[in-house]
Amino acid sequence: MFDNSEFRQVFLEELEEQIMTMEEEILSLEKQGSHSEGIQRLFRAAHTIKGSSAAMGYMELKQLTHEWEHLLDMLRNEELEMTRELTNLFFQCLDFIKDLQNSIIHEELLPDPSAVIKELGRFSIANTESVAAAKESAGEALPEEAEQLLREYIHSGQTVYTITVKLTEDCMMKLARISIIDISLRAFGEVLWNEPNMKLVQDDQDIHAIRWLIATQEVEPDALEQAVAGLMDVQSVRVEAAMPSQPEAETAAVLELEQENVYMLPGFAGSVAQEEADKTQQSKASVKQQTIRVNVERLENVLDLLGELVIDQTRLKQAIQTLYQAYGYSETMDDLGEISDHLSRLIGSLQENVLKVRMLPIEQLFSRFPRMVRDLAQTLNKSVDLQMVGGDTELDRTLIEEVGDPLIHLIRNAVDHGIEMPKERVRCGKPEQGTVRISAAHEDNQVVVVVEDDGGGIDTNKLRKSAVAKGVITAEEAALLDEHKALRLIFHPGFSTASQLSDVSGRGVGMDIVRTDIERLGGIIDIDTTVGVGTKFTIRLPLTLAITTGLLVKASDQTFILPMSAVVEIIRVDTSTLKMIKGSPVIKIRNQIVPFVWLHEMFGYSRTEGSSDKIPVVMIGRAEQRLAIAVDQLLGNQEVVIKTLGSYVGKVDGISGATILGNGRIALILEIGGIMKKASGIS
Amino acid sequence: MKGGEVMQGVEQMQYVQFGVGEESYGIRIAEVHEIIRMQEITEIPNCQFYVMGVINLRGKIIPVISLRALFSLDEDVYSKATRIVVVHHQEESIGIIVDRVYKVTTFHDIQPPPERVGGINGAYFTGIGLTESELVGILKIDEVLLRD
Repeated sequence: MFDNSEFRQVFLEELEEQIMTMEEEILSLEKQGSHSEGIQRLFRAAHTIKGSSAAMGYMELKQLTHEWEHLLDMLRNEELEMTRELTNLFFQCLDFIKDLQNSIIHEELLPDPSAVIKELGRFSIANTESVAAAKESAGEALPEEAEQLLREYIHSGQTVYTITVKLTEDCMMKLARISIIDISLRAFGEVLWNEPNMKLVQDDQDIHAIRWLIATQEVEPDALEQAVAGLMDVQSVRVEAAMPSQPEAETAAVLELEQENVYMLPGFAGSVAQEEADKTQQSKASVKQQTIRVNVERLENVLDLLGELVIDQTRLKQAIQTLYQAYGYSETMDDLGEISDHLSRLIGSLQENVLKVRMLPIEQLFSRFPRMVRDLAQTLNKSVDLQMVGGDTELDRTLIEEVGDPLIHLIRNAVDHGIEMPKERVRCGKPEQGTVRISAAHEDNQVVVVVEDDGGGIDTNKLRKSAVAKGVITAEEAALLDEHKALRLIFHPGFSTASQLSDVSGRGVGMDIVRTDIERLGGIIDIDTTVGVGTKFTIRLPLTLAITTGLLVKASDQTFILPMSAVVEIIRVDTSTLKMIKGSPVIKIRNQIVPFVWLHEMFGYSRTEGSSDKIPVVMIGRAEQRLAIAVDQLLGNQEVVIKTLGSYVGKVDGISGATILGNGRIALILEIGGIMKKASGIS
Repeated sequence: MKGGEVMQGVEQMQYVQFGVGEESYGIRIAEVHEIIRMQEITEIPNCQFYVMGVINLRGKIIPVISLRALFSLDEDVYSKATRIVVVHHQEESIGIIVDRVYKVTTFHDIQPPPERVGGINGAYFTGIGLTESELVGILKIDEVLLRD
């Protein structure tokens, strides 16, 4: 059999990229209404997939994109108009392409696309006639005087756009509207020509479409489009780069000869413009693409090797120390020390650089949300505006993968439980459309991701009642909680605030899972809410999961590592000062009562070291929670390369990973959230 | 794996034959990555009973499991003969602790596995290999490693 696995990989990568583009474009078409660039990009994506899938022999995919492309072509030529129904059909198509993609990835039998293809076909036939009839003068060739001007201006290096504006049917004062559009267009450049001529237009005249030819310098078509689209009574705007339908250099004779033909070929001018657009797109792309694609596995390998290098360097240092103690000072020893120091610095900066390579903009993750929010809002009959800020914030690729699920959960919650129904919102004096805002930013050595909504907020009293009813806390405890602590109740296992479970977020996965996920990544989640105003979740994450500073401790002859970020202080405690509260040991530090555990007991090991009176105790903290962990011995702190235990071992309570120490031994890295949970389980 | 495949390749297919307790087992040589001597194992608390812990295999942390634990035999007694057979499983390396490794061998016949093989679930085996003198349970690695 022909082995196409290598091509398949490339094909799949490209397919993924095109799917992302398509989703983005359909969403933007839905949001901003039909615009030619969007449809053009969508068309190009469908076309690319069609080509590559045909080459790979995925005929199902080829057929589907072929049909879609046909529909898009009609849209492009304004033979068809963008409707909500069409948007939904486009999403349906895209979902089917995703299904196909999945089947290709898993090398399964491809599903039959004929139902979707039929739907697409139905659309193109049903709509052609009606729309074609209503088609305006748009896209027609320009009169010779305009052609002339167009050639002149393009020759002088300016960009000329054709702007076609359609007014709504029921527009009352057309002339006034057209003048306003005219004025706002003149702000961008010189209007060369327009049709119909405004001086000749009567106010009651029946016009829907007006065309301008405008010469500009360094104005993006989008800007023009936005400027006009925002005006009153404007139904649609189309901005296209205008090109003379006849190349200037041609001789007059040819011009005369071919003029007729050219004018009779609608779309010729368009196709030149399109090619031009393609070119600009390409030149833009070539500027942007100072990058290369690298297989993730190779990247991981580099990091693995680097990890080994770090370990060997630590060993080298130890060996030099031993040598120095054994043989004392000599010139060679001095050299060796110097080389080792230099090596350390090199490895340090190498490490920094490799970690940077692994960073990706969080945009990758953000791009998944608009579609999700749209679908969700539609199901719930809510109107939601999703705002995303800081998509260029970079963080470790593993983190991006891992933080996806908790973020999705928060966003779904915000749309489902946060944002009220439109009627309810209006009643409260809020805009009908709710807003969900996601932002990401770097802060110190952390990434802060915020998910906020302007919904109903969370009533802490309801939380208290609900918590008591569910037996999470007693009524007395509930009364004692301050606002913030009461709010944090929603992170408690098995807690859901929605009075009725909805299909959307009430799937048995509560906020406690979100918290656990975030904490497993070494992050913190916090919540802030105002009833009637909204809710805000703030997530703080480390920049990388690959390397961390850890405190090495010994318990039951095993080395464990506590992430330094969680260590509050280290103390020596006289065992006789331990007190018992409700049968569990606590220690009193500066008037604060802190629960106390032995590390070895927590994992069910026996203690190996003889008990001295003063034992080393590491105090760890997370938010306001504190825990004192007694260990057998403190070994100091060092940078450690975090390795996972692998998917075979899976998630282990209280362990986030492991590292290889300088002596080649493995030490487990403790996970603070899990440890705290475990400790409260013990006591 | 289909039974037919096993039968077809009887002549040329090679197996690593090893012992756990009194019994003799085999793993297809293609599935074996390497065989190493016993290493220092770092225990992982609170994980499945048959996962003995993790080892450092040239800078890689890989889990090791105990066939004795999985087959409900007595606790492991590590000796000089104890080996770790490192296999590939779903893009990960996993070590399997065995009492001793005998040789690389071929079988002149392979019988389908009975429901139980010496008190062990027959699903763990792809077949029973026959040599001149003994019966060797051929392990179905996916089944042995996939526990839940």
